Amino acid sequence: MNWTKIVFIVIILAMIVLGIIFYRPVFSYLIASLVFAYILDPLVTSLEYRGVPRWVSVLMVYAVIAGLLALFTTRMVPMLINQGNNLMALFQYSDKPVSEQVLALPFVRSVFEFLQNIDKQVPSLGFTAKFVHLIETGNQLLGELPKLLVDNYQTILSMISFVITVPVFSFFMLKDKQALRKGMLSLVPNRFFELAVILQDKIDETVGRFLRAILLEVIAVSIMTSVALTIAGVPYAVLVGITAGVANIIPYIGPWLGAALAVLTVLITGKPLSMMIYAALAMYLVQVLDNNFVYPVVVGKTIKMHPLIVLVTVLAGGWFGGIIWMLVSVPLVYIVYSLVRELYINLKQFRLI
Amino acid sequence: MVKDYLKWFWKVIRKPNQHQALKKYMLFRELNPFELSLVSACLHNREYRAGEVLFEEGHPLEVLFFIVSGELQVTGKLNPQGSAVLKKHQFIGVKDLFGDNKRSGSATALTDLSVLALTESDFQDLISKNKRLGNKLLKACCEFLASYLQDMGSGY
Repeated sequence: MNWTKIVFIVIILAMIVLGIIFYRPVFSYLIASLVFAYILDPLVTSLEYRGVPRWVSVLMVYAVIAGLLALFTTRMVPMLINQGNNLMALFQYSDKPVSEQVLALPFVRSVFEFLQNIDKQVPSLGFTAKFVHLIETGNQLLGELPKLLVDNYQTILSMISFVITVPVFSFFMLKDKQALRKGMLSLVPNRFFELAVILQDKIDETVGRFLRAILLEVIAVSIMTSVALTIAGVPYAVLVGITAGVANIIPYIGPWLGAALAVLTVLITGKPLSMMIYAALAMYLVQVLDNNFVYPVVVGKTIKMHPLIVLVTVLAGGWFGGIIWMLVSVPLVYIVYSLVRELYINLKQFRLI
Repeated sequence: MVKDYLKWFWKVIRKPNQHQALKKYMLFRELNPFELSLVSACLHNREYRAGEVLFEEGHPLEVLFFIVSGELQVTGKLNPQGSAVLKKHQFIGVKDLFGDNKRSGSATALTDLSVLALTESDFQDLISKNKRLGNKLLKACCEFLASYLQDMGSGY
């Protein structure tokens, strides 16, 4: 390698590093725009192939989404806010001692009375005192949950600028998709051109299909859960349904989280215990429908990851970046794993390794 | 005077067909300007130096090459004479495209070479997402393969 080549590579690397430092604040915007663009691309491309200019196709798709969002905002958001506020009010402290509030719940009451009976017979055990202490500790932990929710909602509100900017970035990504692809591939040396094409296609296919599948599955599970829980008579069915739909992104663990949330809602709202069984049955039915009809159709093939790896990945994601990372860690790891595997196979086929 | 203005106006509003050159390739001969624009959006310009290898036998087939200028030599079992020289407005990759997606031969640039590359996935998209365009492309592929079979002496 001659020195001019070395100098050129050093300059390019320095420019990349400076570029990363300079554009770092907008990386999250770019990634979100990319996700948005990936989700909308098939619709835009389909219109383009019907003779609509690409930039008009993007605007048409945006108009449809804006309409749907407006409909959702006017119909669903007030209900969701109402349900959220009511649910959070249950966790708020009132002038009554915490243990008294919790003990008023029918299920807890019956357990408490059972323990009182035992204590009457064997006073030295002190089960009731221990039970009250347990409730106090549990309530303290639950008391932090609304704070967490409020914190997240505040974050969501502070993302208004984000929400405005992302569609603008996505517009250009969608409009100039082919030009961007060509630009990236033009930087690749001839020797690696076909390999780069394969990887770019694989990224497009894996990431695009995965993101669209996740979105469709979240929507399908949210709707199915909301309907099933409404039929079962569970309170806050829509709020629980949407939360369960989002949690469903995490394989293996997500459905259990959703079911636990539904059962917990029945428990804390003081509904009859039989409703817990209905709620659990409703969640089970949703999972059966999801696993047998929705998932095979929208995702096509399951994420072939061992449950242990999924669990470790979710935990690592949680440690790394909280709830959001718990949700995205499994798909992200799966995508990276697929790409590395594809790279390895093709490097072998092109006899580069 | 009015005629000149009309001429000027016509020149301004009339969009020259920038993709007309693609019609020189047998595969795109029947395409209309809109279809040519769809194809053109997918084409990548690549430059090769004389002696540079485009691909080798056994490599996965991911790209069809359309020669813009220069010459390239193809060797492999699909050439009746063992090797062939391809020139401007010829293309390579279609014969292997409908097989097991592996290159049946190797290609090397004989002179400095300028090509347009169409990826296999884009080609599939062009066929599947616009039926009329797909029909035209597949018909052109069939014609090309038929003429190849005739050249091979097995005209059936």
